[in-house]
Amino acid sequence: MEESSFWEVLAGFYESTVFVYGTTLLLIYAMLAIFSLIAISHFVKKNAFVDYGTLVASPLAPGISVIAPAFNEAITIISNVRSLLTLNYPQFEVIIVNDGSSDDTLAKMVDEFELQEVEFAYNAKIKTQEVKRFFKSVNPAYSALLVIDKVNGKSKADATNAGINAAAFDYFLCTDVDCILDKDTLLKLVKPVMEEQHKRVIAVGATLRMANSSEIDKGVVVRMKPPKKLLPRFQEIEYIRSFVLGKMGWTLVNSVPNVSGGLGLFDKEIAIRCGGYDYQSFGEDMELMFRMCRYAKDNKIDYAIRYIPLTLCWTEGPETLRIFMRQRTRWARGLAQLMFAHKKMLFNPNYGNMGMVVMPYNFFFELLAPVIEFTGIIYYIVMTILGLINWKYAIVLLIFVYTYSVMITTISILWDQITFRYYKTWREVLLLCVTPFLEFILYHPLIVIFSLRGYYFFLTGKKHTWGDMQRKGFGNKPETKAKVVLAN
Amino acid sequence: MIREFFSELFSGELFRVFVYDFLYFPTVIQIAVIFIFIALLSTTIAYISILVRRYRGHRRDVRRARINPKIDQLITENIILNEGILEDKPIEDITINLEGFRKPLYKKRWVRQALIDRLMEYRKNFVGTIGELLRIVYLELELDKDSFRKMKSPRWERKVQALVEFTSMDFTIADVNILPLTNSKVRELRAEARHAYIKLSKNEPFKFFDIATEPLLQWDQIELFKIITSTKDIAIPNFARWVTYSSNKTVISFCLKLIVYYNQQAAIPAVVKLLDTKDHFLRADAINCIGKMKIEEVEATLVNMYNNQPLNCQIEILKAVGRIESGKYIDFLRQEFLHATDFDLRKNAARSLVRNEWMAKDVIQELMVTSTPDNQLILKHVMNPLIKY
Repeated sequence: MEESSFWEVLAGFYESTVFVYGTTLLLIYAMLAIFSLIAISHFVKKNAFVDYGTLVASPLAPGISVIAPAFNEAITIISNVRSLLTLNYPQFEVIIVNDGSSDDTLAKMVDEFELQEVEFAYNAKIKTQEVKRFFKSVNPAYSALLVIDKVNGKSKADATNAGINAAAFDYFLCTDVDCILDKDTLLKLVKPVMEEQHKRVIAVGATLRMANSSEIDKGVVVRMKPPKKLLPRFQEIEYIRSFVLGKMGWTLVNSVPNVSGGLGLFDKEIAIRCGGYDYQSFGEDMELMFRMCRYAKDNKIDYAIRYIPLTLCWTEGPETLRIFMRQRTRWARGLAQLMFAHKKMLFNPNYGNMGMVVMPYNFFFELLAPVIEFTGIIYYIVMTILGLINWKYAIVLLIFVYTYSVMITTISILWDQITFRYYKTWREVLLLCVTPFLEFILYHPLIVIFSLRGYYFFLTGKKHTWGDMQRKGFGNKPETKAKVVLAN
Repeated sequence: MIREFFSELFSGELFRVFVYDFLYFPTVIQIAVIFIFIALLSTTIAYISILVRRYRGHRRDVRRARINPKIDQLITENIILNEGILEDKPIEDITINLEGFRKPLYKKRWVRQALIDRLMEYRKNFVGTIGELLRIVYLELELDKDSFRKMKSPRWERKVQALVEFTSMDFTIADVNILPLTNSKVRELRAEARHAYIKLSKNEPFKFFDIATEPLLQWDQIELFKIITSTKDIAIPNFARWVTYSSNKTVISFCLKLIVYYNQQAAIPAVVKLLDTKDHFLRADAINCIGKMKIEEVEATLVNMYNNQPLNCQIEILKAVGRIESGKYIDFLRQEFLHATDFDLRKNAARSLVRNEWMAKDVIQELMVTSTPDNQLILKHVMNPLIKY
């Protein structure tokens, strides 16, 4: 029998590994699709007769601090703060952290909301950059508003930590000042905390969506529409898949990996005890979640992280490739950073689901996926050059992956429609439904490239531009530009 | 090779490949082919489901949009603008013209459900005679039978719907039908059964407190609190009974809140007794209750036990001393304000000092001058009317 060469053995090993890897990933997606359907059906049934108005009028409602950091948001700050102040909840405060803005963000707030500097007893349980001043409104209409002025901490994390330190209530909602929240966000997010029987709910998240083409009036989304431009529309279906199918699926088995920084309700005590957000992290939201779980496990707290399938937050998705690249590079870098920092949790049974499910899944199927895909493409090219490809089989496999990915995304759109008929017209739904056919060809390669770029930056410790998010604002507002350079 | 593949594809050869050569494919390719068909089928089913769901939803909206104005018109004409109400007649003497409601259209199941929903909606906004007439319409049209049918369903969500309808329409049903459901393992059913029991039971509306083995979750408490405090003609018992005897901690905690709401002075001994409980969360609730009810006689006990308590109870004691406002424990508050290491303890001590200002004015002034800058800041914080928390 002819002996195999080293390269043949290597190729055989690679192919087998990729086969097992791919099959596992596809099975996980199928499992998530089933889990998420169960979780969504439970949610819909359980909430069919819920009257949130009962909580609005109740003296027993737990207080919530809404924390929104702001950096150079002068153009949109007033409408955004007004929007936050109109949230429907009986006991809440809005904490805006002006993170050393170089424009007139603070001055505008002072003028508009009749703010006056106050002497505020600030307990810095989490270390942050210096907090300079506190402002409260002399107008009782804005009594729920607290504005903190601090030295720029070069990250959202540092500003949010200052907000957590000043928060008066046991729960805090973390959001971005440029996000648009549903007016009942607090009511709907606090419910999973209040109806948990045995576990301590340390975080609750909900679906985020693109605000790009939606109709917005005075900081309220009055008509939800899928983005007209292709890039944000890709992001819309990616968010639907990630939140409705992914996170709802994971919530059924209490293995939610992350509660988005754009919208999340957190247990303040646990967040403070585990040190708050990491200002050096590029994926500070996921990083905090990992540490909160770790803290809970280390301290024998039977915790839960919950997700609800309702869309409660709209954010402006990047419309240009340049900004999108920066965002995704940062996210990938954050993931690599996170995995490296918490590598001890990987396959560590002491951390329960976090160690045995969340970490391995994120390591193998989030962190390594772009690397494996990239090596797969290289392998394909090499095999093509060497004339070793069986095109018939190769194309069958390609069609398989393509149809499977379209199926998973279409199912997540269906699950989303089960929750609520979010889009008004058939045309809008159709627009969304055809997008998955292009996603695999146009959008996914970009994600792979930008992720690899993020890993490269992580490995080389390259300087990274933080933010540089050119916001168009909502309601045809002029552009504003925020740029902070974070030295790592 | 690619050319060959596509020439096969377009010449119908692909069919031959899939049908005849399938068995000779490597396993991986066989699996892939099967999954391609599964994926195509699933995607198609998903599209059809989206289509069907949206169509059904749309049709339901259209039908409801058509029927609701008709129902509203009938309700307005025959109930809200009923001459009997305008003439201030007693309810027994008011006649309702139900002819409109008895048309064949109103025999359809979905129309009857729409009618129940509208009646419930109107009952939320109208009480008194109009509310009672709406209830009569519900009974006269035998819509209660529809609700009973749901009640008999094995599906818990149908039972919940039935209970919601009964509760909204104030329709009395036998205790024996609801009581077992108040301990259901399904939280939603359990909660709705408890609401219904309190609202509809004519005997002992709080009886389920005696048998509650499942916890009263925070959300349940919010809903129950509203039902209890907003239901008219409900006999409010002395909640001390459950504070003393219930083995369900969540029932005790909830009763403490009700004791505060109804200012049940008779329950004070039971609340005081609860200070000895080993559960510090429950103890903190008891202290909170004492503070909110301003029970001055217990203030000394609270101050004496202070040093042996965990942080949550200490904070509640400081708040209670502030709420009671007797002015007897200014020194205690001063000491805590000056010497406690925990920030929250100092802040609460300061807040309570300010609440006792009528006796503590001099102490506050002294502290504003002599205490550390951090403590002075705390005092300024709690004294500033612009800062609520």
